[in-house]
Amino acid sequence: MSDLRVKVQQVFDEPGCAANQAKPTRDRKKGCNKLLAPGAAAGGCAFDGAKIALQPITDVAHLVHGPIACEGNSWDGRGSKSSGSQLYRTSFTTNMTEQDIVFGGEKHLYKAIKEVVEKYNPAAVFVYQTCVPAMIGDDLETVCKAAGKKLGKPVIPVNVPGFVGSKNLGNKLAGEALLDYVIGTEEPEETTPYDINIIGEYNLSGELWQVKPLLDELGIRILACISGDSKYHEIARSHRARAAMMVCSKAMINVARKMEERYGIPYFEGSFYGIGDMSDSLRKIAQLLVDRGAPADLLVRTEVVIEREEARAWQRIAPCRPRLLGKRVLLFTGGVKSWSVVAALQETGLVLTGTSVKKSTPGDKERIKELMKDDAHMFDDLKPREMYKMLKEARADIMLSGGRTQFVALKAKMPWLDINQERHHAYAGYEGMVALVREIDKALSNPIWEQIRRPAPWENVAMDDELAIHIA
Amino acid sequence: MAQDAEKVIDHFELFRGAEYTGMLANKKSMFEDPVPAEELERVTEWTKSKEYCEKNFARECLTINPAKACQPLGAVFASLGFEGTLPFVHGSQGCVAYYRSHFSRHFKEPTSAVSSSMTEDAAVFGGLNNLIDGMANAYSLYKPKMIAVSTTCMAEVIGDDLNAYIKGAKEKKSIPMDFDVPFAHTPAFVGSHVTGYDNVMKGIIEHFWNGKAGTVPKLERQPNGKLNFIGGFDGYTVGNMREIKRLFDLMGVEYTILGDNSDVWDTPGDGKFRMYDGGTTLEDAANAIHANATISMQEFCTEKTLDLIEAQGQEVIAFNHPIGVEGTDRFLMEVARLTGKAIPDSIAKERGRLVDAIADSNTHIHGKKFALYGDPDLTLGLAAFLLELGAEPTHILSTNGGKEWEQKVQVLLAGSPFGKGCHVYAGKDLWHMRSLLFTEPVDFLIGNTYGKFLERDTKTPLIRIGFPIFDRHHHHRYPVWGYQGGLNVLVKILDRIFEHMDATTNSVSKNDYSFDIIR
Repeated sequence: MSDLRVKVQQVFDEPGCAANQAKPTRDRKKGCNKLLAPGAAAGGCAFDGAKIALQPITDVAHLVHGPIACEGNSWDGRGSKSSGSQLYRTSFTTNMTEQDIVFGGEKHLYKAIKEVVEKYNPAAVFVYQTCVPAMIGDDLETVCKAAGKKLGKPVIPVNVPGFVGSKNLGNKLAGEALLDYVIGTEEPEETTPYDINIIGEYNLSGELWQVKPLLDELGIRILACISGDSKYHEIARSHRARAAMMVCSKAMINVARKMEERYGIPYFEGSFYGIGDMSDSLRKIAQLLVDRGAPADLLVRTEVVIEREEARAWQRIAPCRPRLLGKRVLLFTGGVKSWSVVAALQETGLVLTGTSVKKSTPGDKERIKELMKDDAHMFDDLKPREMYKMLKEARADIMLSGGRTQFVALKAKMPWLDINQERHHAYAGYEGMVALVREIDKALSNPIWEQIRRPAPWENVAMDDELAIHIA
Repeated sequence: MAQDAEKVIDHFELFRGAEYTGMLANKKSMFEDPVPAEELERVTEWTKSKEYCEKNFARECLTINPAKACQPLGAVFASLGFEGTLPFVHGSQGCVAYYRSHFSRHFKEPTSAVSSSMTEDAAVFGGLNNLIDGMANAYSLYKPKMIAVSTTCMAEVIGDDLNAYIKGAKEKKSIPMDFDVPFAHTPAFVGSHVTGYDNVMKGIIEHFWNGKAGTVPKLERQPNGKLNFIGGFDGYTVGNMREIKRLFDLMGVEYTILGDNSDVWDTPGDGKFRMYDGGTTLEDAANAIHANATISMQEFCTEKTLDLIEAQGQEVIAFNHPIGVEGTDRFLMEVARLTGKAIPDSIAKERGRLVDAIADSNTHIHGKKFALYGDPDLTLGLAAFLLELGAEPTHILSTNGGKEWEQKVQVLLAGSPFGKGCHVYAGKDLWHMRSLLFTEPVDFLIGNTYGKFLERDTKTPLIRIGFPIFDRHHHHRYPVWGYQGGLNVLVKILDRIFEHMDATTNSVSKNDYSFDIIR
């Protein structure tokens, strides 16, 4: 069995994943990689999953080994923001051609790594394997190892050819690459009792920056965020954190769990979406740190900040509440967002008429059930046609989803708000919730929705005529 | 020397060199007695203040940067919409040179118009001889099918009587007795270019319908079910007229366009000079009397013209430069009602596409504040479109807008929650607008090319919609009417929003964390 298959097998057998643990032993080994139905619309591949998980690391060169397709289609497609280096947004690829496929792409790859190091002097090079070089047998790990030795730079192989599986698997394999090659390879200059890691937060639209000021105020240091707005050396030193918060529950659970196993860093699953969730997360961070020896006054200081920030957020949301009260929302997103956003929206008086649970864990689903009580409409895998039908039947006033389903909502003449990676507004923390409510308020009140639902005026006339004929 | 005969540098570069920057700085400090830099700074800042704004609005006599042009410019515009027609402006030749350059700079096409070249003696003794000679010369030099006469201020101040003079010219055999010479008095000291358009359009229609200045019997109207269409003074006439004709053809409407400028300002580059191209045939202009109804796209451009047409027994409908979904809906519904023709599926699809496009992009325009200025009808049409998009018009200004316009805008604004807090400024100029942009800033400004000074001073990004557009090419080829036109305007607005977003996030290592690929 190849190394990659062993790795995939390991990742599937994840003790931190409740869904996996609930299965009988034989099924557990098979993993949760649902086979795709050929011919049906599908999401991203493992390469894509790994790329989006690691691309937020800002000061490294992300080099994609493959033909133009993989990097050409994903270049800078992730709105993760950087407070420092912009190197991660530059597109590096070996741009394989026929010649490489006939003679092998290893030398080409080696030279590309050398050139990127010479020209950019990055903190590290992350090299991504894709389908074509994997199929012709290019040995990514060996090339990276040789290049790293020769060039005196960390060269990290990310072995994720798209064909191994889903985007979610890619997230996990990206995490494995960090665990195998990065985390624990350097020591921080100093540590404090207030050091934490945030795992599974990507700083999309700068969301981490909505949360960070509060942590700063409390004296809590983010030793590493994996991977939003992070630097290579921060992740290499992240094993010295005192506690960790796991943000996107399915994507990088292996990282959080293995860091606990290897380095004894306790973690909790939390969310920055919604006022209540944000407060809970702050409390849990403080509690874990205090449990591990930080001074107990941190708990008191945290409560003071929570009280102040909650009041301030509610005060700013209040003007929108009357307009939002009772408005029905349909939520289509994945993983942790489904329950954390459910809670957030309910806080503002919105009514959830349904939510997708496609990427959610049983734990997520339980939380949703709890939140939505009897009226929990959870959809596992809603096809666009069904989604359209639901919206068309006006069972909701607005849909919140990612960009790919935007057009379903718009065709169904339904207000729509982007809450996935391509959005332009940050919705995390207290600040983000205020922004989200304002955006929903705007989306609901835009005059185009009235226009879009009205038939063309001449259709009215035609209908009136028909009616007149019937009456006559 | 900064200049070298081997490599002569143009104005973009020359004065940026050390030699000139040094020399100019020296000249300023040694000979210009400049105010101290702080004083200059203080006054500059003061012009942005509320206090200055109040003083600015208290201005009584001085107009600074007016956003309007003169009557004869509109007169020439209207004249050129008819087949083989030479605009003949009775008055001084300098004025006419302006109209030609003005249009050529906007449309990037030659514009033909002549004047009677009145000079000082004509001003003293009257311009009759100039008109007689001018007619003869224009007729033999340029071989028009019709000469449409309008006037500059010079002829109007001395009170030249066009009707009598044209008769005189015919008697003197400058032109054949039966040659068509419609006319209109178009003094610049009354109204603006939209008034001039109205006067000449009315003059031409009156000429053909009402017995050609008493030389033939008046036409007897026999309704034939057709529809007349008048576009009004419109910088987008090339694209708009073609779009309207396409829509009419799709609906199967029988129509006459009165004043079709689309070809004369868009002649092909095939090596052939076309002094005249396209336009409403004179026969069609005469027969337009028999139509059932006349639609004007611009009420304030056709007030007198529509009165005349209505008096003949036609139904007249006037719009205010309709832009967007609702505006186009209303226009097409009227066309359908007046002609009994159905709106075909192909147009319904265009409508659906525009609605879809607005929905796709609505968040970027929603709640953005806009200042706009321009002709009365255009500002009304644009304001309605902005409200439809969920934008918030904040200042609407029209130098040539009056009380009636102001009321219409107020009614429009009152009909939408997005119109709250918008102020309407009739008869104000672009220096007023400058103060407004400082004291009550907006996100974007919509106006013509002259808005670039406002953009520079106030840093309000300018969206170029209006007339004239001198510093951008070919926009007049794209319609702003119809659903397709609405799409064009939407894209103009969105492009500027995104350009601004890019321009404010593109500083390397400062703000380029928001310099996004996907917007």
